[in-house]
Amino acid sequence: MSDAYATTDRLVSAESNVYDRGLDATIALSVVGFALGMVTLVGLVPLDAGGSALTGAFATLLAVVVGAVGISGLASYTGVAPITSQRVRGIGIGLVVSAVSLAVLAVALPVTMATLLGVVLLVEALALVAAGATSRAGVVDTEPNMSAGLLAGSVFGAVGLAFGTVIGGALVGFGSPLWAVVALATGAFLLAVTVLPREDVGSTASPALVVATLGLVVVTGVVGVGWQWNPQTLSGGFTGSAVIPVFLLFGTLLSAWSAAKCRAGFGARGREYGAFLVINLNAFLMVAVMATIVLFVTLKGVGYAVHGITVGALTLLVVLSPALVGAVQFARSPAGTSDWNTGVRQLFRVLPLALVGSLGTVLAGVLLTGSTLRYAFTYVVQVNRAGETIDTAITVTPDATVGTLLLIAPALLLAVAFFRAFGSLRSVGTQSARTGSVRQAVPTAILGLVALIGCFLVVGPSPFGLPLGGTLGFAAVVAGTLAAGALAVLPLAGVLASNGSSLAASAQDEAPLFTLGVFGGLGLLTAALVLQPVAAVNPLVGPVNLVPAVALLGAVASLAVAVLTTAARRGSEETITRRLLAEETRLGLVGAAGFTALVGLHVAVTGVSFTVLGVSVANEGSLSWPMVMQAYIPLGLEPGGIMPAIVGTVWLVVGATLFAVPLGLGAAVFLTEYAEQGRFTALVEIATNALWSTPSIVFGLFGAAFLIPRLGGDESLLAGMLVLGFMLLPLVLITSREAIKSVPNEYRDASTALGVTQWETIKSVVLPAAMPGVITGVILGVGRIAGETAPLILVLGSTLNATNAVDVVGGFRFVARPPFVVNDALLTASASLPTQVWAVIAAGVSGSPQMGWATAFILLMVVLTFYAVGITARTYFRRKLDYE
Amino acid sequence: MTDELSTTEGETMSDGVSLDGSLLAVGGSALTLVATILVFLVRPALALPMLLAFAFITALGWVTYQAEIARLLTLVATILTVLTVGFITFFLFVSALPAFLEHGLGLLLIPVQNGEPRWFFWLEGALPTGETYWNPLSGAYSLIPMIWATVVVTIIAGAVAGPLGLFGALFIAEVASDRLREVIKPGVEILAGIPSIVYGFIGFQVLNGFIQTNFLDDGASFLIAGVVVGVMALPTVVSVGEDALSSVPQSMGDGSVAMGATEWQTMKSISIPAAFSGISAAVILGLGRAIGETMAVAAIMAAGTQFADPLFDIFDANVTLTSLIATQYGSASESTIDVLFVAGVMLFVIVAGMSVVSQFIEQRMQEKLKGNQ
Repeated sequence: MSDAYATTDRLVSAESNVYDRGLDATIALSVVGFALGMVTLVGLVPLDAGGSALTGAFATLLAVVVGAVGISGLASYTGVAPITSQRVRGIGIGLVVSAVSLAVLAVALPVTMATLLGVVLLVEALALVAAGATSRAGVVDTEPNMSAGLLAGSVFGAVGLAFGTVIGGALVGFGSPLWAVVALATGAFLLAVTVLPREDVGSTASPALVVATLGLVVVTGVVGVGWQWNPQTLSGGFTGSAVIPVFLLFGTLLSAWSAAKCRAGFGARGREYGAFLVINLNAFLMVAVMATIVLFVTLKGVGYAVHGITVGALTLLVVLSPALVGAVQFARSPAGTSDWNTGVRQLFRVLPLALVGSLGTVLAGVLLTGSTLRYAFTYVVQVNRAGETIDTAITVTPDATVGTLLLIAPALLLAVAFFRAFGSLRSVGTQSARTGSVRQAVPTAILGLVALIGCFLVVGPSPFGLPLGGTLGFAAVVAGTLAAGALAVLPLAGVLASNGSSLAASAQDEAPLFTLGVFGGLGLLTAALVLQPVAAVNPLVGPVNLVPAVALLGAVASLAVAVLTTAARRGSEETITRRLLAEETRLGLVGAAGFTALVGLHVAVTGVSFTVLGVSVANEGSLSWPMVMQAYIPLGLEPGGIMPAIVGTVWLVVGATLFAVPLGLGAAVFLTEYAEQGRFTALVEIATNALWSTPSIVFGLFGAAFLIPRLGGDESLLAGMLVLGFMLLPLVLITSREAIKSVPNEYRDASTALGVTQWETIKSVVLPAAMPGVITGVILGVGRIAGETAPLILVLGSTLNATNAVDVVGGFRFVARPPFVVNDALLTASASLPTQVWAVIAAGVSGSPQMGWATAFILLMVVLTFYAVGITARTYFRRKLDYE
Repeated sequence: MTDELSTTEGETMSDGVSLDGSLLAVGGSALTLVATILVFLVRPALALPMLLAFAFITALGWVTYQAEIARLLTLVATILTVLTVGFITFFLFVSALPAFLEHGLGLLLIPVQNGEPRWFFWLEGALPTGETYWNPLSGAYSLIPMIWATVVVTIIAGAVAGPLGLFGALFIAEVASDRLREVIKPGVEILAGIPSIVYGFIGFQVLNGFIQTNFLDDGASFLIAGVVVGVMALPTVVSVGEDALSSVPQSMGDGSVAMGATEWQTMKSISIPAAFSGISAAVILGLGRAIGETMAVAAIMAAGTQFADPLFDIFDANVTLTSLIATQYGSASESTIDVLFVAGVMLFVIVAGMSVVSQFIEQRMQEKLKGNQ
């Protein structure tokens, strides 16, 4: 609606065009003034800057403004992004004019920043007076009301009251009651000036008065840079360096509001423009605050947090592979016509792919040439209560070792992603009797291997001294692995050996071999692989291990099949054939990723690294990130990292989630699906909401007084988990209930109408539909408790500079007396990220602020990742629901 | 619909065989669970084996009578949740009782020192006498300075979060275009997600230095703590206020626009009055957040157990109820801990009360708006 109004001013006279441009410039000057107020308040530019410092500051401002306005203007001029609103154009021109004139003033006059800011306020006041007078004299067309209204009047009355208090206090002192008289008089005066005259006078005169007063005080130096007011009664005081920017922020806000009112011709539209300006500015400020906090913590902490990262190029390449697939997926979305706009869009689609490609090539270059990429920088550590600068670097080495975790995770991710994209190849191609029998034999073989695993698990690899593992197990592993290898190469061999008319035809013909080969091979090899550590064998073929060699063979064969089918797809025309071949390609990629993951899994379970052609997969990879992977090193040159805190936070989150999610979800199901909706459910809802907003420190108090005496008397990880679980519980309950409630009743009715029982309905209709909401809620809740500090400082017993991480997995022990299973690690104190930051604060001068910033940075990243994932998931699911 | 389902299920349950089996499964599972809880209270060491027994029987039941066991399990989850909530409340009150009995209302209203009630403590706020309100060694306990500190911080925070939050809610609900809303709303949520300790660390490292140079202060101050807590409470006000504004029926605003009113007139005269109670609920919830905020306040002003001098001196510093607990618990004696529990109960009652009140207000508003439709 406001856009429609924006074009109406084309119809008015030439005088009002000058009036409009002038007011646009005033608004623009206010914006510049507001920005300058922010900049001087945080001390980026000192208020007493003069001469070259001042010129430099305004040159920067000019560059920023000209750059921003220039590129938007260019885009508008060329018709790429047309800007039609006269107001936006006017403000753009006004921005340039203000910046240029300020820069000229700064160069021409021998003034300081503070004086110049005062001048800005005075100019604003003059502009407002001029606008008000023009409108009152009837030179331009405006539609003022009879009065500016009581809302504006009371605001200015309050401002006048505050002004009068200060003026009265300064003139007659707070000792005599006269100051109150002055204050009331000023307040009443401004109220009257605002409310009594017509709107165009009322809403310009009082802001002009206020702004002019502020400007005069600053220009004349009554409140100068070195000005101080230190009242006896207060323990603090006011200085010019804080007061002048605040004057400027307040004054420019007022004049922007008033100028906006004038610009839209007063009346209803004028008020709307003024109010919207303030509302938009406020929203912008909120986002700016958030961005500033995140950016500030990042700038402060990132140097310390990433010190000494060393990583092998091959590891990076492996980690990059999901990004490659994601970029390809992104680039595949349809690009549309060849218009200019869609061309740009196409470019942006391809951009990530290009980025990944160039990065990958650089890394491959590092691998091939054997040179090292190195980015050197310094960071500061705390030694004997003083900062000490240490040289460090981020290094990419040509090391061709890949850690198992960093191999398994991306490979598994890719395998799952490809498998999800894979549809079905059922009843495609020709089934032969032989493949049918193999298809039946594979599950039997896998079951046999699983049974063997179970036996060895129960009796051990050599029961009663019989070397069963070495003989029977060995034979089973070898047989299973060889069979799996044969299955893995089956699709490739089948396609190559088939005598179809073309590659596409033979690939389509042999489709049954694809599913059999990939899924059968993967299943059989996984079973054989798991049998190895259980039977304590690791068969060798020459110098290399058998299982990873076969897995590698499978990966290569599957990849070859994928390449082959892609090539065949290029040559074929028929839609159905193309679709089937795409399915086969996906299946081949599932196989490639899956078999690669098995290589990593083999190394992980046997602990024997696997090397082929100089590339090795080992448990100890080539990634070294001291901040995350090391504990604190006392008395070392390098300070090490905060691994204990990270491990602690991970366990806390896992424990709290394990406690809260089943309970909360179960209760939500009962309360929403089984219980009668009435008093009881309403009461539970109110109670959980109240508990959710209960201060976290109260939970800490409960944990410290109730849990700790019952959990061994010491602060412990388990107590921390439970307390965080108590905090998470209400949120899980609330969000799960919301999600379950939002499942439409038609779903339940339809299911009931089909004769499905209530539990089956809940299990297969309600819960799946509600799951996205539940998961999103849990992720957001976990994000919140991951950063929770207050309860943990009471129950966790965290210390600064912990040197040991808790070993929860290794802490389980079986004992002969009740309770039979104990875990000392759960009952010992642990570090955690938030308490680590608190420990730095509590340590006072001996705490290392740099480490505090780095820890805060990592904590922020962890929490924001949870939030980002949660919010993205929610947006995704919402969109999906909207489309359905 | 739920009722229909449960009756059909009741009929199948009375089918004889299925009744016996399911009863056996559910009963066995429930019995072992109760036994586990009893054993935990009497001999915690044996609780784990009992729990395993429960898990085994339940798993057995899951295989045979899944529907019944599932219903039992969700019931158990509900009961446990309610018990947890109830027990935390109960335990807090019981723990606070000794200090209440010992110090009486003096803890909250009139400070008592050496057995003498100090009736004129409120004069001391204006005319300081230098006496202590909090000195565990001499048995002087009074929470009034901390209550006052909490009030001061909350007022400053409210002054920051209230107007800004209202404007923000208006922006998201009424002004912003859809695309802008999709950027700003997550932005506000992320603002809510920044851990309080990070705010506290920024306040401790940066803002305290800022106020020293610019406001001639010695560092810690209510002003900074209040402003930081206000920023932290802002997202709560924005999102709850936005919900309230969005729940005003579209038809009301449309009617206003159809009469020729501008958007701002519609907002000012239709949306805000209609959603006024919801907006006040948002502010109440935000204030509750501000009262309960611990780490930012503790990091910014960790010391002081005296009244601000004079009472309105926002450059002074003092611990609040929350940061008192956080900073004193570690080194507190038995009787001090009891007093800290009183502080905890106060926080719990006030904040939970505010939450309940705001829920009530919101519910009233929803009902009213529905009635108008």
